[in-house]
Amino acid sequence: MKEILFISGKGGTGKTSLTSSFIDLADACVACDYDVDASNLPILLKPRNTVGHDFSAGYSAHIDRDICTGCGLCAEICRFDAINDDYQIIPLNCEGCGFCARICPVEAIRMEPRSSGHWFSSEFKSGQSLFFADLRPGEENSGKLVAQVKSMARQKALSENTDLIIADGPPGIGCAVISSMVETDMIVLVAEPGLSGFHDLQRIYELIKLRGIKAVLIINKWDLNPEISQEIENWAIDQGVYLAGKMPFSTTVADCISEAKIPATDSQIRNLVFPIWENIIQQLNVM
Amino acid sequence: MQIAIASGKGGTGKTLVSTCMTKILSDRNAVLIDTDVEEPNAALAFMQPVSKIKEVHRLVPHISPEYCTFCGLCAKICNFNALVVLENKVLVFNELCHSCGACSFLCPYAAISEVNHPIGVIEETQLPECGTLLTGRLKIGEAQSPPLIKAAKDLKTSAYIRLVDCPPGTTCSMIESIRGSDFCLLVTEPTPFGTHDLELSLEAVKMLDIPGGLIINRWQGDDRDLVDLSERYDFPILARIPFSAELARSYMQGLDPLQAMPALHNILTDVLHKIREVSS
Repeated sequence: MKEILFISGKGGTGKTSLTSSFIDLADACVACDYDVDASNLPILLKPRNTVGHDFSAGYSAHIDRDICTGCGLCAEICRFDAINDDYQIIPLNCEGCGFCARICPVEAIRMEPRSSGHWFSSEFKSGQSLFFADLRPGEENSGKLVAQVKSMARQKALSENTDLIIADGPPGIGCAVISSMVETDMIVLVAEPGLSGFHDLQRIYELIKLRGIKAVLIINKWDLNPEISQEIENWAIDQGVYLAGKMPFSTTVADCISEAKIPATDSQIRNLVFPIWENIIQQLNVM
Repeated sequence: MQIAIASGKGGTGKTLVSTCMTKILSDRNAVLIDTDVEEPNAALAFMQPVSKIKEVHRLVPHISPEYCTFCGLCAKICNFNALVVLENKVLVFNELCHSCGACSFLCPYAAISEVNHPIGVIEETQLPECGTLLTGRLKIGEAQSPPLIKAAKDLKTSAYIRLVDCPPGTTCSMIESIRGSDFCLLVTEPTPFGTHDLELSLEAVKMLDIPGGLIINRWQGDDRDLVDLSERYDFPILARIPFSAELARSYMQGLDPLQAMPALHNILTDVLHKIREVSS
């Protein structure tokens, strides 16, 4: 079983448009969306039989007002400003370290498991599996929720003998992205030919190098800026990153997204993405 | 006054709005803080040399082998599994540590001190005729952004007007970025993705009880879903920036958007007026 992860560093470069299209082209695959705080892949794949599961990670402090003597020690040692002047916990600030509960002289504070969101199993097309999640706004632990989605997708792929997992990744280079990369076999970078797109591509690639994962590149909307697109191509040659393909800007893709349709269901787009997908698969197979 | 410019979905135009607003506020010496520390882009709109770099650290435990008895208490109390105690060795996983200080304080043998662990830098850039830019830049490989975001926001707090260019998403990094703002501007786009992610970010902003409004970018006429959300969350639509291929193209080249789309100047000036009205 192999896993391909689509990431971009910068948001809004077209990860989900392309990922959904390749999922549509793949013969069989388990699909997942690791962008757990703003999950968009389900909007295009339109899954059914969706089953939600609670996800808790970490803890939250609770102060028992009847026991609390108001000594203030907890507020003094808390580094997250999570205890206000009335000795009440501010849940949004509490990181769940439990320092306060351990230090409280009258044991007025207890730590309770904290619900951070949900993860979902679902089906699309003719019974293929899609896994995604929904982190509660403002929550931490996005990395752990990604790990949960990943673990479920891998179990499913193993149990039904599916050889391929295709995953849509989150933007950035932080905890959710680092967690997305765990055990991934190959990363497809989706870059946009702008100054910020190129800047962000180089940062995410530094992270990929630290993790020692093979990466290939797609330049999306390349014709919006042929000069920077060429610079990115030259950079890719220098770095030894294989260019799987370039997608031109297309109002058809934008129209598909507006209608919540997978772009590759349009025949013109399908013809454009198909050779790129063949290149990606070929790169995956030579590993 | 502090205005946060945020969005749920990435690539909707947060940086476009925040950098153009900084230029428009030219005579007011605005401070623009780029808290998208994972992928900071605001500096690319100005191309000015960095004048000062401040290293940012957070505290992580350091074990003194001469005092440690390998009793295992630190590993037991750490809720983040950042410490593992072996027979004659303690392993510290800095990337898992949340810097709460519990292990160091509670170690019965005072064998744990706290040392600085670098997480990134804050770059200060003087913007000719329009104030200062503070860019938070997370060290590659670091997982936790909030401490760096907080450090960047703790600088230049006395400025008359502060704009915060926030990271995408709705997690703790976004909350840390908008925290303490007088107004939160959410930049969205009229697509199913934009609508879906906007609702999540409205939920996040609501938790902090900060007033705000919407800017619809790449507007093309039909925005019923966004109008619905705007009404439901009482977040008025303050502006619609029409779709322009010319703007997209010149923005990608790093050209000044205010020149590519002259109307943008009036649109954003008007938004700033409306924010002032609401906040006064």
